[in-house]
Amino acid sequence: MQITCALLFSQRGLSKKELFECIPSYRDTLASGTNEESVFRMFERDKTDLRNTGIQVEIKENLVDGDDIRYVVASDTFVWPKQVGLNPNQLQLLNLAAGVWAHASLQSDANRALVRLRALGVAPAASDLIGYAPRIKTHEPAFMPLNIAIDSCQEVRFSYRKPNGEISLRHIQPWALRNIDGQWLVISFDLDRNATRNFLLMRIVSKVTTVKIDDTEVTFAAPDSKLITDAEAELSELINTQVARLKVKPDSQAWFHFQLNDQPSTSDGLVSVAYLDMHLLAEQLREFALDVTVISPVALGEAIRSGFEKVVEAHA
Amino acid sequence: MPRLASFNGEERFNFLLALIGYLQNRGPVSLAEAAEHFDLEEKYIRAAVTSINELTAEVGDFEQWFFYIDVDALEEDGILQLLENEVIENVPRLSTRQASAIAAGLNYLATIPEFANDKDLIELQNLLAAGSGRGAVATVEVVPGTVEAGSEIIRQAILQGKQIRCEYFNQKGERALRDINPIRLDPRSDGWYLRGYCPINNAMRNFRLDRMRSIEVLETAISNEAKSVGEIDDALYVADKTDTTVVVEVQPEAYRLISEFQNVAEPKSIESGNIRAEIKVGHLPNIARLVAKYGGAAKVIEPLEARSFVKTYALKALGRQPELTNQVQDEE
Repeated sequence: MQITCALLFSQRGLSKKELFECIPSYRDTLASGTNEESVFRMFERDKTDLRNTGIQVEIKENLVDGDDIRYVVASDTFVWPKQVGLNPNQLQLLNLAAGVWAHASLQSDANRALVRLRALGVAPAASDLIGYAPRIKTHEPAFMPLNIAIDSCQEVRFSYRKPNGEISLRHIQPWALRNIDGQWLVISFDLDRNATRNFLLMRIVSKVTTVKIDDTEVTFAAPDSKLITDAEAELSELINTQVARLKVKPDSQAWFHFQLNDQPSTSDGLVSVAYLDMHLLAEQLREFALDVTVISPVALGEAIRSGFEKVVEAHA
Repeated sequence: MPRLASFNGEERFNFLLALIGYLQNRGPVSLAEAAEHFDLEEKYIRAAVTSINELTAEVGDFEQWFFYIDVDALEEDGILQLLENEVIENVPRLSTRQASAIAAGLNYLATIPEFANDKDLIELQNLLAAGSGRGAVATVEVVPGTVEAGSEIIRQAILQGKQIRCEYFNQKGERALRDINPIRLDPRSDGWYLRGYCPINNAMRNFRLDRMRSIEVLETAISNEAKSVGEIDDALYVADKTDTTVVVEVQPEAYRLISEFQNVAEPKSIESGNIRAEIKVGHLPNIARLVAKYGGAAKVIEPLEARSFVKTYALKALGRQPELTNQVQDEE
């Protein structure tokens, strides 16, 4: 808090020396004989803490003083626009939006944002019964490290296992996380392939680690939003062009699942399903294997089948 | 509503900033009102005031105070008043992560029919999109899946406090006409659930919307038992005496099978990515579909009975059991 205030107050930023002099805890630590390097590490830790609460401390090269670098508070954090207040109904919606996160640490990010917004002095509308409790689940342990890396534009590495079992080490600049039909994927720039690539979080089989050179995380410039929207457009095009044809046994559970009773045109039990990833669809269909026949593509039927072969093997 | 029963460092810092902003915007306010506004006990507010007043840094040769909240006014009249504020603007700042968590939550709400055209929601979405340093594209987003048929009928029943009747496939795969006291709809990324009170079991149960059809709202009001349910836990798993514990081993591709029952950490190495966990199964034969769907990425360790359910199901699906050949529906 003191660092933030000192930096904001000074406006033109503070040099390392000035910082160490004006923040009491640094000053005292130095005075007690601790070397400057450890105090600097203290400062680095504090910087990380600050970043997590929304205050990005940046380095500004000071051209006038030449070798002197100064620390300033970056202006790119989200600032609630001055002229825009919140009505109680909106605050209620924000509460609901914050509650959506079933993951503890995202929930706390969202809740902190709410506390911060209380500064506007508005009380939320009485919590009417709305009948919903929407939740977003993040089952994959890779979610949080990727979310943090995206937020701080850090390059990461992880091992990725393709459905055929092949494992490769990937090196990416993560751009965004998307949940499509219940599956999380990361949209990214693959540095080895030099192209935009999407990775399903469920297929990440190692820790996600930040890439470091000399103990410093390698960062990249935040991607242009057009790159992300292009990647998304490509994804939805992919989904639209990949269509499986299935035959569903009448009145079976699969029939319920595909909501066939509401569609008279499909009363013959034929249904078309657009999919993101054939192996994910195979996974879904294995649940209904006794009620569903795959008409096309042939490879989907094979994927379902080879999965069952492995199940038999694993339970022999 | 956020409950800050205890403060850790970050929460505390976050709150101090919010409190200063609030006092700046609101002007003098009673301690009681501020406590209510932040949903905190008065003693926390008092402690925060002390911390805020103690913030100093040495600038040049003299000590600089950043803020000052009038201590006399607080002691004598219970009034909070910010006298000095050298640094903080009266608009809240959010971190990129805070903003993106909220934005993703809002975008998710917008996929629910009830909120689809909500003016306030759209305004908030635009606001967050416009103000974030990262441009208009959210870093985390849930792309709408299919909205389950029937969700609107059920929601109406919930709001009116009426029971519903529907055809339902229970977990044993039996189809029956069921009466349910609907309490809450839980749209999840893997499907929609209805949390409802079941008069047959006299208990709360989860009903998957993709196992329902022909839903109708009854004239009957929901029962007193259903009304007295109170707060519903978010976890979908509801323990039952008749549940069977099954030990499974899962690869990362099948972590979803166990994530309802335990927190899954990142694997330290590829080899250690396979983990064993206990899961609970209400109707044991169900384990077959639950495990077999992962196509080998999940396997049952024990009990043996559960292993054989899985194996039999997979064989059936492959058409390997002579006596069942006719029932098998498979590609080849």
